[in-house]
Amino acid sequence: MNIMRRLLFLFVFLAMPVFATQVDEDPMDRQVQDIAKDLRCAVCQNQPVAESNSELAHDMRKLIREQLQAGKSREEIMNYFVERYGDYILLNPPSRGAGTVVWLAPVGILLLVGISGYLFLRNRVRPTMPLPPKLSKEDAERVRVARKEAGQ
Amino acid sequence: MFTDSLSINFIELGHFAAYLAFMVALIQGMAPILAQTLRIPRLAQLSVNASVAVFVLTTVGGLALVHAFVTSNFSVQYVAANSNTLLPLFYKIAALWGGHEGSLYLWVWILTLYTLIVSWHGRKQYPEHLPVILAVQGWLMVGFFGLILFLSNPFERLFPIPADGNDLNPLLQDPGMVFHPPMLYLGYVGFSVPFAFAMTALITRWRSELWTGLIRRWTLIAWGFLTTGILLGGWWAYYELGWGGYWAWDPVENASFMPWLLGTALVHSITVQDRRRMLHAWNIFLVISTFSLSLLGTFLVRSGVLSSVHAFAVDPGRGTYILVFMTLVLTVSFGIFMARGRYQQAEETITSLLSRESLFVWNNVLFLVACASVLLGTLYPLALDALSGQKITVGPPYFNTVMVPIFLVVMLLMAVGPLVPWRKANPERLRARLLLPLLIGVTAAVVMSVFLQSVHWTGPVAVGLALFAAANLLTDLLRTVRQRRAQLKESLGRALGRTVLGNRRHYGGMLVHFGIVIIALGLVGSGLFRSELMVAMAPGDVMDIAGEHLRFEGVSSRQGQNYEAVQGRFTLLNSGRTVAPERRRYLRQQMPTTEIGIDSTILRDVYVVLSEAAEGDWNVPAGGKWAVHVYVNPLVRFIWSGGVIILLGLFFSLGGRQADRKPQEKPVRAVVATK
Repeated sequence: MNIMRRLLFLFVFLAMPVFATQVDEDPMDRQVQDIAKDLRCAVCQNQPVAESNSELAHDMRKLIREQLQAGKSREEIMNYFVERYGDYILLNPPSRGAGTVVWLAPVGILLLVGISGYLFLRNRVRPTMPLPPKLSKEDAERVRVARKEAGQ
Repeated sequence: MFTDSLSINFIELGHFAAYLAFMVALIQGMAPILAQTLRIPRLAQLSVNASVAVFVLTTVGGLALVHAFVTSNFSVQYVAANSNTLLPLFYKIAALWGGHEGSLYLWVWILTLYTLIVSWHGRKQYPEHLPVILAVQGWLMVGFFGLILFLSNPFERLFPIPADGNDLNPLLQDPGMVFHPPMLYLGYVGFSVPFAFAMTALITRWRSELWTGLIRRWTLIAWGFLTTGILLGGWWAYYELGWGGYWAWDPVENASFMPWLLGTALVHSITVQDRRRMLHAWNIFLVISTFSLSLLGTFLVRSGVLSSVHAFAVDPGRGTYILVFMTLVLTVSFGIFMARGRYQQAEETITSLLSRESLFVWNNVLFLVACASVLLGTLYPLALDALSGQKITVGPPYFNTVMVPIFLVVMLLMAVGPLVPWRKANPERLRARLLLPLLIGVTAAVVMSVFLQSVHWTGPVAVGLALFAAANLLTDLLRTVRQRRAQLKESLGRALGRTVLGNRRHYGGMLVHFGIVIIALGLVGSGLFRSELMVAMAPGDVMDIAGEHLRFEGVSSRQGQNYEAVQGRFTLLNSGRTVAPERRRYLRQQMPTTEIGIDSTILRDVYVVLSEAAEGDWNVPAGGKWAVHVYVNPLVRFIWSGGVIILLGLFFSLGGRQADRKPQEKPVRAVVATK
């Protein structure tokens, strides 16, 4: 281990440049990540391609980069992956075919539950308050004492 | 050799105790039924004694497993699969819930613990209902013990005995992961208590203020644990997984979020029953649904169905058992609800549509829609795959699109709701009170959208609503204090203290709301204003991100108890502080993992990941350039701080006196309230 460590330090020392250099991101990287964020890594458990370290994700990022360099648009690249893997590859389900259900259902549920809630409230509203029950003698006395204490 | 044979005896003793616990749980479940059919009322008391015995026996079984882990007894299959000799002691114990079998055992142990507390507590307060409550919990135990003992037994032995165990997943070797599952389970299982009370209310037609108060308390306790568990899970994901975020709408996360959503609805609607004697049946429905979702959450994560629908088929026994058990719980509980729910009718009506109780109904509507949407988004792809083989993915972009608008309306309700009185609000007075806070909120939203034009529309709206809510909380408190001072001529400190302490339930709840506001700001900050940069850096290089300058100083090697690591050092040139992300390789599993380096202030986290180099060895990248992934996440600390505030509010609220404890005070308080 010690030899390892020394080698590593030597390595680091040699690699250290004399002046600090400013490094910046490759703008292409950002574009690749933007597309990879919305694609599912097909072999991982619910991970976007952008965040996965699997080999497939590496390859897919490489593919995206190549296609971007070839001048393809985001749409075209997405379609390319959909053609190869199916809608499964999209993290945002498409609003066609089986995906329609997922997009329409929340609206349907909202309408259903919302209307039920409204009907419930409307049926339960009795605008006049029921008369308060008459106080017992002891309670009336208590109220009198409490009012007195509160300075009324 | 002697210790070895002794530990073998321990594990068999534990195994035996678990079987006994299963049988005693069966007695606990049967006792009131037998008492009813044989007409021997005294027999029902058996369930009370049984609940103590089950707890003791389950604890013995659990201790035997802990002993097996601590002594590295690899003749136990579960220990061999989840631990090894190099593992630090702390993680050896935590490995007990690192796998499927052990976490189910933890689940059932917590269930016996809650049952013990209920039977202790109920002996004086509600002795006539106690046997039925315990019987309901007894049947749940029977269901879980059946799964544990016959289909996923942590006491299973292994022969020949391996020299060393596998390892606990390195990702789980983290303090966040040690406390996350127990907290989550304390929350999940906590809902079994209101569930048992609700079933009992249906069976024995028990309805009283005591019942409402008990449901409220137990729901708050379970909700508190669940909230803590979810936040700890987010914290763990943030510190351990290294993708810069804390919540990914992963099905595993959704599984815990669904009972949280319904639990939140329940916490509010049970207050309506407490204060206005309405929604009795609805609350029972919510209790049953919340607990069912807790069960679903446990099973979704534990059945392996999430990784692929086909994992379910690999072990058909376990999958079928879980499906049958869930179906049984759902049909029996909802069946009893259908048959007996009509005895739980409201005693009062709603006076006005503009009243606190009516807003609580809308709160319930929204949380129900939110929960149903998450349920659908989580289960639909699974169902589609299982039924037609068609695969779709419902990922984070979908959930954000659907859930954020719902939560914005929830925030609006949260801002206005506490100012609207019970029964009937006076619209003019309400308008006057809302004016200043509304102005604050709208100003914040407008300023934000003017200065940050590129930001998504949800940002300014959420910030505006959050500030509107916070301003309402503050002005409402100040108004009450001012009124009190004017009437009673008290000093400011005394009036403030008396106001807050005099209504701990209310102000505890308001503190929870304040915590939610803080979390909302944290979510907006870290969700919409995250900066991210991925660069290749050699030692000495400097990178700029979101006004921060980071210099890469170099790397050094480090040796942990069961891993070797290479540690990078970065200096933040603005403050001179350093962060030290690592790449680790665990000796047993060889797969390299990352440890994140974070420099955290209240306003932003600088989050540095030493990523995998495209080429080269795991600790010596090719060409001397490391792939460095840096995020600047604003306001992440708000999320964790908000969580702490929520818990403080909860404790404060639970410490308050229960409405039903001192009925003699009621008339006097009523006078003060109507003045």
